[in-house]
Amino acid sequence: MMHDLNLMVAGPQGSGINFTSDSFAKLMTREGYHVFTNAELFSTIKGEHSYFRVRVCKDMIRSYSKRIDILIPLDAKSVLLHTKELSKDGAIIYENNIDDERHEEIPYKNILQSVATKFGKSLSDLNVMKNTVALAGATRMIGLDKEKLKKVISENFSSRPKIAEMNNSIVDEVYAEFSPKRSFDLEPTTYKKRMLINTTHAVGMGKVAAGLKFQSYYPITPASDESNYLERIMGTYDFVVEQTEDEIAAINMAIAAANTGLRSATSTSGPGFSLMVEALSYAGMTETPVVIFFYQRAGPATGMPTRHEQGDLKYALSAGHGEFPRVVIAPGDHKEAFYDTTEAFNIAETYQLPVIVLLDKAMAMSNYTVDPFDLSKVTIKRGKLILKETSDYLRYRFTDDGISPRSVPGVKGGLVTIAGDEHDEDGHIFTEDADNRIRMMEKRMRKLDSVVRDLPPDMKFKFYGDRDNKKVVLSWGSAKGPILDAMEKVKDVSLLQIRMMEPFPAEEVLKILAGKTIIDVEQNYSGQLADLLKEKTGLSVSSRVVKFNGRPIAYEEMVEVLSKPQPAKREVLNYA
Amino acid sequence: MLNVTSPPQKPQSYRTNVEIDWCPGCGDFGILNALVLALQELKIPNENIVLTGGIGCSSKIPHYVNVNTFHTLHGRSLAQAQAVKIANPKLEVISASGDGDGLGIGSAHFVAAGRRNVDLTYILFDNGVYGLTKGQASPTLPYGEMPKSIETENLKFPVNPLFLGLASGFTFVARSYSYNIKHLKETLIRAIKHRGLAMVDVMQPCVTYNDINTKEFYDPRLYDIEKEGWDPVAANEKEYKEKIPQAVLKSLEWGDRIPMGVFIEYQTETYDQKLQKLVPDYGKRNYVMEPIDSSGKPINDVTNLMDSFC
Repeated sequence: MMHDLNLMVAGPQGSGINFTSDSFAKLMTREGYHVFTNAELFSTIKGEHSYFRVRVCKDMIRSYSKRIDILIPLDAKSVLLHTKELSKDGAIIYENNIDDERHEEIPYKNILQSVATKFGKSLSDLNVMKNTVALAGATRMIGLDKEKLKKVISENFSSRPKIAEMNNSIVDEVYAEFSPKRSFDLEPTTYKKRMLINTTHAVGMGKVAAGLKFQSYYPITPASDESNYLERIMGTYDFVVEQTEDEIAAINMAIAAANTGLRSATSTSGPGFSLMVEALSYAGMTETPVVIFFYQRAGPATGMPTRHEQGDLKYALSAGHGEFPRVVIAPGDHKEAFYDTTEAFNIAETYQLPVIVLLDKAMAMSNYTVDPFDLSKVTIKRGKLILKETSDYLRYRFTDDGISPRSVPGVKGGLVTIAGDEHDEDGHIFTEDADNRIRMMEKRMRKLDSVVRDLPPDMKFKFYGDRDNKKVVLSWGSAKGPILDAMEKVKDVSLLQIRMMEPFPAEEVLKILAGKTIIDVEQNYSGQLADLLKEKTGLSVSSRVVKFNGRPIAYEEMVEVLSKPQPAKREVLNYA
Repeated sequence: MLNVTSPPQKPQSYRTNVEIDWCPGCGDFGILNALVLALQELKIPNENIVLTGGIGCSSKIPHYVNVNTFHTLHGRSLAQAQAVKIANPKLEVISASGDGDGLGIGSAHFVAAGRRNVDLTYILFDNGVYGLTKGQASPTLPYGEMPKSIETENLKFPVNPLFLGLASGFTFVARSYSYNIKHLKETLIRAIKHRGLAMVDVMQPCVTYNDINTKEFYDPRLYDIEKEGWDPVAANEKEYKEKIPQAVLKSLEWGDRIPMGVFIEYQTETYDQKLQKLVPDYGKRNYVMEPIDSSGKPINDVTNLMDSFC
């Protein structure tokens, strides 16, 4: 019996690798398994080598494995590149004969010819369906019901029923004609309803639940998947997604919509965020409740647009000229991304400041199984918003907590006066009075004190494992997955996941980490969170485990490094 | 678009009591006065108007007008104005911008705005220089000119705001003059009443830095194209396509005679009408005033979305 099974589909981009791996992942989700996928794509539309991993297990999994059990190469290059990763009792499903005892022979040609004849097509018409032969071969070896596979395929091609029918006919032929040399017996499980989603879906659903009414974006990998998802559902849930001329317009529009009274957001990645920075500072000055979803990818400059990195932590914390309050939160998985999204709007509106939600490429492109969200946990807090007639209104009125009542255009007696220059309580800019400057700076910055005081601890950080463990891993974002998986094996380490980077929960973190051996794990070059820890608490980490080759951390490399009695001062992970 | 829901406003109710810090004699005063007169005549409730400005002398105008005011960043007046109107189509939105603000740093938004045709009014304060930074050449300064404030003659060709507006798809394109308050006020009223994106390019001297394009320069040159027989109204797409090339030709005139008036006025699909194709309830409901929660719990139920991934 196998505890987990790893399938890889590899080939040129555009050859159907997504379809094959997505269908397999969906099928296994419906069988009740936990599924984790990892997509490695080249920044191109067609032709370059890409691969998808699908890991399946009856227990919860949060990372991909180096080990491949079933390899589906769709071209010769993929055979060469990935056979070395195949386990010794694994299987290769490939159309041509190869000199490897793990090769499973499926009569591709006969099957495709037979289906072609049945549908009055030529063999070459069916070349694009070779991946279905391989997929059915894999599910046959795992012993899955072919009807369930056919249902997934029909759903995938719901707009093209003829194509669905041909693919399903291939499935029938494979199940009839293919006698595998070996089979894969996965530990059985019982069905439980789960979603197969990535973080762009989680954030999208979070925005709908939060009552988002305006989203602006400029196309960029990997962030625009989220906006495109929102575009598909905006007609049903009644909100506007605006594709703008550039990221400068995107953030300015989101800010203006927020100041007009809507829950408003923009989503981007590093290069786009750079263009938004002036307006981020403006949002801080104008006390605008706007939320920026920042999907990190490998930089600097254009970097590796489709590859992963957590290299923008310090940037998100410091971007923007001048000093202004901001909140930066970093979800570590899809479930947190959903709830944090709903909470980000509450924070933005309650404290009237920009909120940055830091995400990354690994989360954006990794589909995995998540229990349906508990919608009763979602709340909406709009702070001091005024929607009814008012009087004696001042947009930037001084208050004890620094938060002014917030009117919007259309409210009688509550004219809104937004100003990016330093301003008086009335939003006018012709006072460069020194005392007013001090009072206004203090008013704005004071809002962070309330954030620190009001937000619950699990919004700021989460602790996993035994509190008494001497060794504590410090980490954030998507690195959490492989760490938690490794901790099932390596019992003498715990994890402190930082979730709120600004304002940093220094007091609580100091309490937890004092006297511990701290191992920092991050997917960037320098270990930016370790620097932040030093700045905020004075604590030093004993080891920085970093990975910056554009690929997320694999399960095995995490186990290996955390198993060391004392990891080196700097450990660079390089599995690709 | 016009939005009248309350009784006539008292005179001066559209002015704030903020002290104006423009130079004495600045063309901006004429624009401010004409705008206030236009708003008084239109009787739009103050709280239903949003005036945005960019950065620069002219972009300070929001502080002098007693309506909702968004003083934005350099170049972003039009970007923010469009979002305000998209967010709440019931508002009357006016966007003010200088020629440097709108056609230099903000030119991407200018072109993109034409593609959307959001129903708002864009006032371009056009004086050929960057006044607030002491008079550098702006995108509308003619080639070869050297007003006293710049160090070398201007080596760049000017952007023609009318031509660019027509090319970008602005559905109302006009030019007026800051010392002709009557014409400017009437033009602003027509622009505000126009359903779609309206631009008024306002010729205005900068008395401090531009000693070429002065009152003495403009007064004898400006003539009203509508008084000379031009009818800018295009009743349908066919007429629009016929009138655009003629309007472009008129926009290119410069020299001894400089045209002003309305060059094109074409009523076509506005952005809010286009959005209804994608979001059927858009504009029928007031997103701003409508609650998104019921006692702190979301009104939107995402159960169906979750099920679509199972």
